Amino acid sequence: MAGEPTTRNRIASRLGWFDRVDSSLLALCLASVVVVLVAGFVQIRYGDFPMTLGEAWSAIADPNVLLSLRAWKGFLLGGELPELSNQSLIVWNMRIPRVIVAVFVGMNLAVSGAIFQAVTRNELASPFILGVSSGAGLAILLSLVAIPATTIVVPLLVAELHVSTSMLLPVFAAVGGVLAFVIVYAIAWKNGTSPVRLVLAGVIVSTVFGSLQRAMFFFADDLGVVQSAIAWITGSLTGTDWEQVRMVLPWSVIALALAVLAARQLNVLLLGERTASSLGMRVERVRFALSGVAVLAAAVSIAVAGIVGFVGLIVPHMVRNIVGSDYRKLMVGCLFVGPALMVAADVGARLALPVQIPVGIVTGLVGGPYFLYLMRRQESMGEI
Amino acid sequence: MSDETPQTDGGSQAVQPPSGTTGEIAGDAIGENDDGHGEPSPDASEFVGEELVAGYPSSEEPVIDGATIRLPPGEVTALVGPNGSGKSTLLAGLADQLAIDAGTVLLDGEDIHALGTKELARKLGLLSQENVAPNSLSVEDLVSHGRYPHRGFFDSLSPADREAIDEAIDLAGIDHLRDREIGSLSGGQRQLVWIAMVLAQDTDVLLLDEPTTFLDMHHQLEVMEIVERLRDESDVTVGLVLHDIEQAARYADHVVALKDGAVQARGDPETVLTQELLAAVFGVEATVESTDRGLQITPLRPHHDCE
Repeated sequence: MAGEPTTRNRIASRLGWFDRVDSSLLALCLASVVVVLVAGFVQIRYGDFPMTLGEAWSAIADPNVLLSLRAWKGFLLGGELPELSNQSLIVWNMRIPRVIVAVFVGMNLAVSGAIFQAVTRNELASPFILGVSSGAGLAILLSLVAIPATTIVVPLLVAELHVSTSMLLPVFAAVGGVLAFVIVYAIAWKNGTSPVRLVLAGVIVSTVFGSLQRAMFFFADDLGVVQSAIAWITGSLTGTDWEQVRMVLPWSVIALALAVLAARQLNVLLLGERTASSLGMRVERVRFALSGVAVLAAAVSIAVAGIVGFVGLIVPHMVRNIVGSDYRKLMVGCLFVGPALMVAADVGARLALPVQIPVGIVTGLVGGPYFLYLMRRQESMGEI
Repeated sequence: MSDETPQTDGGSQAVQPPSGTTGEIAGDAIGENDDGHGEPSPDASEFVGEELVAGYPSSEEPVIDGATIRLPPGEVTALVGPNGSGKSTLLAGLADQLAIDAGTVLLDGEDIHALGTKELARKLGLLSQENVAPNSLSVEDLVSHGRYPHRGFFDSLSPADREAIDEAIDLAGIDHLRDREIGSLSGGQRQLVWIAMVLAQDTDVLLLDEPTTFLDMHHQLEVMEIVERLRDESDVTVGLVLHDIEQAARYADHVVALKDGAVQARGDPETVLTQELLAAVFGVEATVESTDRGLQITPLRPHHDCE
């Protein structure tokens, strides 16, 4: 792939890892931050409850929220919120968490895709290549169709915990995704795995699970269930609030930190199995662990947003085109570009049409043509 | 190169007539330091594979069936043999990149299978025949991956790592390529970079699988010059597979000829690379002349009657 010729001077490159951040990566990250801020602000200002620029800004900068320990406790840990103006409530309780969730979903999907592309040594791999999406989708449909919407009351010592099936949906999705991944790995295992066998097993499992998913639609008894299932399967951020932020935050921190730390392992893995192994890497173990991190990141984003396609495929690709395939830079780039794409796409999903559409439709509509463009422009695609 | 008569040790078999396809043809001179470029340093490592049996799950028959090979400390041993004779398999088995079915591999008397993977990679380096790297990777970054077994999960490059990388780049003569991207290099330059990577691994034993195949003449000589420098200036024990018999004759202290997964002959180049051996192992009629630039081997025609 044609990256920029490395012109950084050697002394700078010797200072270690933060000094290696080159200018193209820095520019990419800054541009992404600008996109996130602008798109985020659009998302916050516009909507069914219209606000002027000033109103939106003062709601964002509302000292009753920003400086209130209670408000932040309510946001991040759950619990009562302080009295707020309507604007502040709408901005802080509905629109900002949606942007934050979009940021994390973008990060997780991008990083997950980047890892899978290194593990399979194929730049056409995506977070969902190893059956994760099909497993998650099937689990969602199963739980929507088969389990009646009930509320289970779990008595605890001090209070009762009300658990409705819709609250458990993300958990089911993640579990389904992980299960499918385990099945794919088991199928691909034959004295060890190989990237090709992993991808093929992923395709097979996805096809079978996809058929089962479509079969499940026929068992759904009302249209609402079907619609909500479709929203899950295409990926949507509609109705996200701080609960989703609380759900996504801790797991994302773990997955993303591991992914960034693993950058050098990924770089060695890119040299091929034989080289990695003769350098003393336990390739199977590292590959499984890294896939695990990627599945975790994908499952986290599925849990809050459903299956948003194309982000995990395209973002690592875009970043690679700009900073090259060094995963120490690529991972950092993904952490910025992923949110930019996701937040911007969600603006389109929420505001472009009179009705909200799932964000996955927007990422697909934008991502598909962009990917085609890349394909036409580049000589070769496939192996990294 | 020496022209001494080979010394036969007790364990080796007698010289076979050229028609024979099994048995060792030449005497075993390995280990007798008879090659005129100085004593091997006591720090150099001895690397031995005994009675190795190795193969692939896809086939019943083992590719390597009971081969014993010894790389004398600090010297260069070349493996030669026709296609499919098991040279690469033997190398992979020796480097623990292929699980051997029987036999032992000893590095300084220690079974390598008892070592951890990183520990082994600090002592033993293997450069495979074909290697891939992302095109946008810089030469220096690729070479620095050779330090992988020396670094912990969180370690950044230490001064010692830097030094090893610089030395490797220097030894491979690729300092002028340092900041280039892999994708912009020719095949020959790439091979030098890969060799620099295994050099940066800083191992006691270095195994190179056909390092000169597919290279142009200039880069073949560059590669062999590195091997020569390793032989003369370092303690590294080198084992390499060569397709070019004349290269083996010129640069190796010892030659091991392999056919059908078994060692056919071993010893210094002059004793192993004879007309008889070329006929028996490679199935070619050739003339072998001793010149002041080493052996000159001229292949004339193939023998059609052999297998």
